[in-house]
Amino acid sequence: MNPDLQAFLQTLVQGLLTGGIYALVGIGLSLIFGVMRVINFAHGDFLALGMFLTLFLFKTLHLDPYLSLLVALPLGFALGYFIQRFVLSRLGDRLAESSMLATLGLGLIVSNMLLLGFGAQPQTINVPYANNTFTLGGIQVSVALLVAGLGTLAAIVGLNLLLYRTELGRAIRATAQNPLGAELQGVNTRTIQAIVFGLGVAFAAVAGVLLLPLLYAYPTVGETFTLKAFVVTVLGGLGNLPGAIVGGLFLGGVESMGSYYISNNYRDAYGLVAFLLVLLLRPEGLFGKTVKRV
Amino acid sequence: MSVAVPVKRSRALTFGNLWISAAIIVVLLLYPVFFGKAMNFGVSTVIFAGLAMSWNILGGWAGQTSLGHAALLGVGAYTMTLLAIPERGPAWLQALGIGHGAAIAPWWGILAGMVIAVLLSLVWGALTFRLQGSYFTLSSIAVALILRLVAINENFTGGSQGLFMPDLPTFFGLDLFDRKVEYGLAVGFVVLTLVITHIIRRSRTGYALQAVREDEDGARALGIDPARMKLIAFAISAALTALGGGLYVIYLQAFEPHTLLELPLSVQIALMAIIGGRGSLQGPVIGAVVLAVFGEVFRNLFSSANLLIYGVLILAVTLFAPGGIMGLFSRKGRKLGTAR
Repeated sequence: MNPDLQAFLQTLVQGLLTGGIYALVGIGLSLIFGVMRVINFAHGDFLALGMFLTLFLFKTLHLDPYLSLLVALPLGFALGYFIQRFVLSRLGDRLAESSMLATLGLGLIVSNMLLLGFGAQPQTINVPYANNTFTLGGIQVSVALLVAGLGTLAAIVGLNLLLYRTELGRAIRATAQNPLGAELQGVNTRTIQAIVFGLGVAFAAVAGVLLLPLLYAYPTVGETFTLKAFVVTVLGGLGNLPGAIVGGLFLGGVESMGSYYISNNYRDAYGLVAFLLVLLLRPEGLFGKTVKRV
Repeated sequence: MSVAVPVKRSRALTFGNLWISAAIIVVLLLYPVFFGKAMNFGVSTVIFAGLAMSWNILGGWAGQTSLGHAALLGVGAYTMTLLAIPERGPAWLQALGIGHGAAIAPWWGILAGMVIAVLLSLVWGALTFRLQGSYFTLSSIAVALILRLVAINENFTGGSQGLFMPDLPTFFGLDLFDRKVEYGLAVGFVVLTLVITHIIRRSRTGYALQAVREDEDGARALGIDPARMKLIAFAISAALTALGGGLYVIYLQAFEPHTLLELPLSVQIALMAIIGGRGSLQGPVIGAVVLAVFGEVFRNLFSSANLLIYGVLILAVTLFAPGGIMGLFSRKGRKLGTAR
């Protein structure tokens, strides 16, 4: 194969697989925003929590990182449910601004608790397959990255089934569209909102688990991912789930291409510039329906 | 967030506020007399009090929550330092004969930094004030992070190593690296922010800002241009923040982008103001002092996890005291829960 083309495809594949993880992080954020109009500033910190949970289980029980998904998913859900039910729901009507500050505070609490518990040192786990790669048509693919991509796919399919094939999903969509109307139809919106926040946090925690074989874990790693999640969701349109998936893939691709063809030093900047441009030019997101501008 | 708070002009309140401000200045001036051994703590706390006051002009009075103020602080800090170190400065500046061979005194450097910060804020604001609420906050984070990446990756800013000021000229015969002098300058900074806040509060601009904060559409109906009002607030806030940034790095003497331009610093400044009471006159000073004292008390217990207390307090404030610490003392803040 032409080496230029091969490098291009390699960069693209790498970017799209990373983008899959971004999508997974972004979906949780977008889901929460879609239903509650709350921007969760602690999102990345919940991801960090998932990473450290996996790290902890691996170090103490030698549990395979992918098996800890079975722990991270329910724990993440429970944590999110609890936070929405007993903390955020108390904010009442002063929503947008104070929920932003409250989740910012929650994020600081989570990341600093991790710092107290695990120290600032970046840590990782040694599993034999962490660095495995296989070659497909001349393109190297990291096994861990591929697993993460497949995990993302499974999560998206699962969420879709939940939202469009179950009674709970119908209630969630009703709450997103019109909380008062949903309430009048007998939907307990407080419970629905708690479930949605739980799902969002569970998604972040799962992303953390999938990322651990690939990345070093340190307490403030979440900050980066909160930002990535913002970028992904704004690119796709806040509250737009398919948009978040495309936004994630787009961000992964842009970062990968930018750092290969322009400069690796500005890897994080490409996404941010795209983010600002979208915020300014198309606040409804790249793929969103044209809605009334705020 | 559009609970209408009557903006009332009350003479009694004005005098009360003047007395509180005066009392704060007196307390700040007395600090070195009693705690002459803890001047490091004093200087940084007072500078942060001024930074929180500066943030409050945009965040409290105009109601625009910025989490990117570290960028403006960085502009002041970098401009001043680069001009003060003879062998630094970007090539084009050196080509103009500026910053090469002849160091520029820090006070002129800070002034230059303030001008650049104002220009930056005008462009930044013109682009992002079309976005409301959380969207503005998100964009402020992005702008600050892009500037941080520039500071880390470009050569003229000293890269990720940052900058070091070996020496500075004396300021009217005063050694700028003397903690007592720095303390005096820091108090001067706080006094300046207090005076400006007092003036804004009782000016036409101040009333317009409060109107915009409470109800943008309502303000527009009264003939107020919300975008213009926010820009004015941002420009003032930016100039003062850059000034504080210059003072802060004189105190630090050496700094690197990882500490100066990080998101946590922006968050710290914003939370000091919000916890103290956003939109109140002296709340940010109170918030900065309370948080600094907490940080010092828990230093041994939490060591590097010092932002834990910020998280706990901001959560407590959003849940139980939306008016911040100052709000607890005013009936308005407690009752309506939106004194901000």
